[in-house]
Amino acid sequence: MNFSGACLCGAVRYRGTAPLRPVIACHCTQCRKTSGHHVAATSAPRDAVDIEGDVTWYASSATARRGFCGTCGSNLFWDGPGTYLSIFAGTLDGDLGVRLAGHIFCADKGAYYGITDELPRAAQDNPALTTQVMP
Amino acid sequence: MLTASCLCGDIRLRIDAKPGPVTACHCRQCRKITGHHSAAVPVPWALVEVTGQITWFDSSPAARRGFCGRCGSYLIREGYDGLAYVFTGAIDGATGLRMDGHIFYADKGDYYRVGEVLRCYATGRSGPEIAP
Repeated sequence: MNFSGACLCGAVRYRGTAPLRPVIACHCTQCRKTSGHHVAATSAPRDAVDIEGDVTWYASSATARRGFCGTCGSNLFWDGPGTYLSIFAGTLDGDLGVRLAGHIFCADKGAYYGITDELPRAAQDNPALTTQVMP
Repeated sequence: MLTASCLCGDIRLRIDAKPGPVTACHCRQCRKITGHHSAAVPVPWALVEVTGQITWFDSSPAARRGFCGRCGSYLIREGYDGLAYVFTGAIDGATGLRMDGHIFYADKGDYYRVGEVLRCYATGRSGPEIAP
């Protein structure tokens, strides 16, 4: 699958050719703080993602960093352990056929909204959701 | 009184108000900047005390968006109408708030749909309603 995306101002662009994971929503406190609501991310092999422009990286924990555009602030990436890079779905170009497939860290979600779809939910992390890949 | 902060703590907001309902916005700009869609409450600027340096991006001639330049947390949209639209994910602890509608739903991403029985507006709240 060919994919591409960009931040709002266009200073950071990315593209690649690889299967994309279905989109998973993360409701953890860190994702809520940085996104302003909650995150929804697909994922691709890190080596398959070609990033152009300067990403500002923030080390959000000992094992992960978050990438955003320093000019417009668009939240773009979560880069944690393993060989995959999480790509925030709101930054993708066009309809790539990936769909929301589940919710993780639901125990940490904000009380001001509900999760009202019928998709699988995990109170914390769930590798069964976060490692699945679309052909 | 509510407090809000970015992930790294460089920017803190004190909000001396009980904000109204939360509105989710699915416009292209909000989708790009948040990485999904936004959720925010309007608060008069006069009731917001900011500590720390917000980085502003002029997202249109009529609005700018404020974030933390260090950790990237997205905090405020301003439309120069006297209101700070504070992003609800930044609010610390229990907010006591409820989301009650979705705007610019016509521009939402293809990878999700809202499954709840809240009102969805094609554009702003004064425009037509559309099905979730």
